[in-house]
Amino acid sequence: MNPFIKYISGIFTALKALIGGLRVTWRELWRKKVTMQYPENRETLVISDRWRSELHMPHDENNEHACTACGICMNNCPNGTIKVTSNMEETEDGKKKRVLDKYVWDYGTCTFCNLCVITCPSDAIQFNNDFEGAMYDRSKLIRQLNKPGSKLREKEKVEKPAAPAKEAAKPTEAPAKKEEKKEIAPEAKKADEKSSDKENK
Amino acid sequence: MNYNQPLELTGLVSNLHEFFRDNLSPFWATLVEGALVLLALLTLYAVIALALIYIERKITAFFQSRLGPNRLGKYGVIQSIADMIKILIKEIIHIKEVDKFLFYAAPFFVIVSSMLTFGAIPFGQGLQAVDFNIGIVYVLATSSIGIIGVLLAGWSSNNKYSMLGAMRSGAQFISYELSAGFALMTVVVLSGTMQLSEIVESQRYAWNIFNGHILALIAFIIYLISGHAETNRGPFDLPEAEGELTAGYHTEYSGLQFGFFYLAEYLNMFIIASIATTVFLGGWMPIQIKGWDAFNQIMWYIPSYVWFFGKAGFLVFLSLWVRWTFPRMRIDLLLNLEWKYLLPINLINIIVMVVMVLMGWTLSDWFPALFGN
Amino acid sequence: MKDLILNIVPDAVIEEKEKLTVTVEPKQLHPLVKALYSNKELPFDYLISLIGMDWGDKLGVIYLLSSSKDMSREIAIITATEDRENPLLYSITDMYEAAHLNEREVYALLGIRFINNPDMRKFLLAEDWNGYPLRKDYNDDPKLNPITIANKEIVDIAPFIKEDEKGNLVEGTTDIFEEDDYVINIGPQHPSTHGVMHFRTALNGEVIKKIDVHSGYIHRGIEKMAESMTYPQILHLTDRLDYLSASNNRHALCMCVEKAAGIEVPERAQYIRVIMDELNRISSHLLAWAAHCNDLGGTTAFIYGVREREHVLDIFDKTCGGRLIVNYNVIGGVMNDIYPDFQKDVKAFIPYMREKLVEYDNFFTHNPITLNRMINVGNLSYEDAVSYAVTGPAGRGSGWSCDVRIHKPYSLYDKVKFKEIIRTEGDSYARYLNRLDEIEQALQIIEQLVDNIPEGEFKAKTKPIIRLPEGQFYQSVEAGKGEFAVFIESKGDKSPYRIKFRSPSFAAVSAMPIISEGELLTDFIGIGGSMDYVIPDIDR
Ligand code: SF4
Ligand code: SF4
Repeated sequence: MNPFIKYISGIFTALKALIGGLRVTWRELWRKKVTMQYPENRETLVISDRWRSELHMPHDENNEHACTACGICMNNCPNGTIKVTSNMEETEDGKKKRVLDKYVWDYGTCTFCNLCVITCPSDAIQFNNDFEGAMYDRSKLIRQLNKPGSKLREKEKVEKPAAPAKEAAKPTEAPAKKEEKKEIAPEAKKADEKSSDKENK
Repeated sequence: MNYNQPLELTGLVSNLHEFFRDNLSPFWATLVEGALVLLALLTLYAVIALALIYIERKITAFFQSRLGPNRLGKYGVIQSIADMIKILIKEIIHIKEVDKFLFYAAPFFVIVSSMLTFGAIPFGQGLQAVDFNIGIVYVLATSSIGIIGVLLAGWSSNNKYSMLGAMRSGAQFISYELSAGFALMTVVVLSGTMQLSEIVESQRYAWNIFNGHILALIAFIIYLISGHAETNRGPFDLPEAEGELTAGYHTEYSGLQFGFFYLAEYLNMFIIASIATTVFLGGWMPIQIKGWDAFNQIMWYIPSYVWFFGKAGFLVFLSLWVRWTFPRMRIDLLLNLEWKYLLPINLINIIVMVVMVLMGWTLSDWFPALFGN
Repeated sequence: MKDLILNIVPDAVIEEKEKLTVTVEPKQLHPLVKALYSNKELPFDYLISLIGMDWGDKLGVIYLLSSSKDMSREIAIITATEDRENPLLYSITDMYEAAHLNEREVYALLGIRFINNPDMRKFLLAEDWNGYPLRKDYNDDPKLNPITIANKEIVDIAPFIKEDEKGNLVEGTTDIFEEDDYVINIGPQHPSTHGVMHFRTALNGEVIKKIDVHSGYIHRGIEKMAESMTYPQILHLTDRLDYLSASNNRHALCMCVEKAAGIEVPERAQYIRVIMDELNRISSHLLAWAAHCNDLGGTTAFIYGVREREHVLDIFDKTCGGRLIVNYNVIGGVMNDIYPDFQKDVKAFIPYMREKLVEYDNFFTHNPITLNRMINVGNLSYEDAVSYAVTGPAGRGSGWSCDVRIHKPYSLYDKVKFKEIIRTEGDSYARYLNRLDEIEQALQIIEQLVDNIPEGEFKAKTKPIIRLPEGQFYQSVEAGKGEFAVFIESKGDKSPYRIKFRSPSFAAVSAMPIISEGELLTDFIGIGGSMDYVIPDIDR
């Protein structure tokens, strides 16, 4: 091609491509913006059910939880985030039984790998959706998950956790062990969650 | 033909002038007037810069599918004021082993240069501080002082990034200065004067960009491109190319000193837009059509400074649009563009323009009834 | 093959394990590798990985070699020395450029020095680090390596040890830069290094004369940490290597463990895994595109890319409960079943993404500035790509067919149809286009799978404690940036004896000096963007 024609046509192809680019931004100028206005949209913000924010231990309305203090979660945690301490207590029929004393979880070192939740044989712990975890004091990161005065939920019969991972995926479903509890459980649990969150804050 | 111009400031200005003349000796009158003009310009300078910063952030955000500043005041309008206060009270960090004198002088070169240029712009009818008969040359000359500041900043910072940024800036500025100058000269040929006020006046019925049709349009585009390049704004922002040079020549500056560079950058953008407006788009002159007195009267109801800022604003928008669409040039591409494309086209353009004016091929020559002055 | 090896080294020990494994004496290593390298029909010219080992009594290296002609052919060569005080092995840097940084890494972590490597500084660790972390007798007392806040000068002097003609070992030093070089530091804190990377760059005007790569600013010792963790625990570390290909990396480790432990993965889990892998690849390429554009000064493009990526992350978020560190694959399957609307969301994303790809083309791909800044910039020839072991979209931009999904198909990749995108130009633009095209291919793969996810279990039942049988296990996958490989040596415990990750970014960064030499400083940043490396992947 004649170099002069090439020179001129080069200018025009370049101009065409440039205008193509300008058109994209021009159209974008009038489109709906994607920014989410976070603190304002708190009400409408949807956090997916499975979102892993804070580990918590659901308690029912009798202030009972499902943790048997077996320590499996503690051993499975890759970061040493969980500390389970337990006492030996004697039950009425004279047997020795391990009872949860303190269940301490460190928000600061947790890497949210979910191993503790999927390995827990009694489904006693779950992740909740409360993602607003920022705080001013590092000591607040270390939390006790079992509530004061709470105790182990009595079991009528030992139930195997059916597909623990599946259960864990739905944090709103309380691990109901008794038939009649099943109905009230989700609501009670939600109320539970809220109160425990407040405490944490 | 005299039109009713209710919102013009010409009356106010001449009243003030007469008031001082009547009450003070000529020397003092000039002095006071000078001081007032200076004050007005400085205020305008700051206000325009702040407004531009806000506008740029907002428009950029819209181009990028974001919302932009919206926390301070309604739609974030006082964001840039808050930023200014922040910059004013920020500590100026003293860098070890800089060339102190040059380091501190550099921002002033930049800001003074843009202020000097700013003074010569006709913002509206009768609203022009200095109106030399060689106005265009003055504008070109003063706006070039800024590069000294940039070079000094880069050199004195004792920082390799700054140094590279300044060197790039030098090469870029000097190259594009040529194109910008030639593009303006093309119009000087067309309007036959270098005085800014007369250039505006001569565009009463036909803006230069129409009067000189294709050639003026080419000159206009070249001026916009090289103006962009002179002000170091994207896609020509390589002196401060964040990607590789962190912030280029002003890497080491902080607080108010950085603020000076920042202000000057925005103001320069505005200055380029205003010169282009004045020279190509009829300046503050409203749209006028010969013979349509009623229409012209309506246009004159809109004051001239609104026309001016409207046109300049449009050009600023263009500049933002381009900046936020294109990637950054590379130094060799940049010089290529100047020396291989803009400059030759420009030179031919100016010669053809001379021929055109001599042969009477402009619009006003062809249709004097419509476009002649 | 065996004949060839026995021809060169008659007393080599050849074992048919998962890979053909050859054990030789240190002295015989170099001739053997050389013969394999210059083998006519099937040159073993691709160094997948160079694994430093401490077997307790011996210190050694496993070389994992493959051929650029046929990536499915692999061979592992083992050599070791008993000298723990001053272990010396022979370098293979004269054949494989990729060996340079790898050997330096082995020196830093295991203390093995390589004879004839021209630059034996420590890589990843500071020059004055006490001890060799990957040795089994490493003393990790923090007192030995205190954290200082004092300023450390960088010394650009490289020691080396080499063998002269007579066979004597000579030690010496070389200067990295010439005395009056204008050296600027790009990094460690710099807007465009995509993390904490450090390039010492000698300039000639604005033209790059030489680059010296420093890395390790965020070295976390993941391989060392993994040695004291159980396999399920290690999984959560892989997401933190190349965090943009979290699923793919984790898939590799899961497959490696499953293969070794003989765990059958349910069909449903396979489908979900591949879909997630491809979604992850899309998100990785989108961010690469966005960051590359940003490196070229197109800030707006960055926001557009991230905007689209957000849609993928939303899907991750709903499926896995995490956006970047997705934590999804587990040994035997995936952690959760997909959520009910998963298919709907994915199918809505596909046309959306296609539309945006067209927009990207209009916006950036044809822009004359873009073209000028990418075409013929950062040229990586086919030979260099192989020698530096640059895989992924970058390697395929140099004409090297190196897609693991094609050559060593895993999971469902032999069942789906897709095209391997190969361009031969080898410049930034080829790499750029490759990524955009691979997004389209990934969409096609997802399209083929998303409607056919079979019913069934999403996770196989596994024992509570997973022990791998004794042996060496390998697994490669195609991550967003290239071939990601896992090597596990197990002694039958519940944690690995040694685990090694081959990271594609490591290779990409090692090729940076050669492809940016002679380019302008401005382009160096753009080339970095086109190579698309991720620092945590290098600083394992
Ligand atoms: S999520 Fe992982 S790191 Fe966090 S407490 Fe559970 S096991 Fe430990
Ligand atoms: S939370 Fe579960 S695994 Fe942990 S101690 Fe309690 S019962 Fe055991």
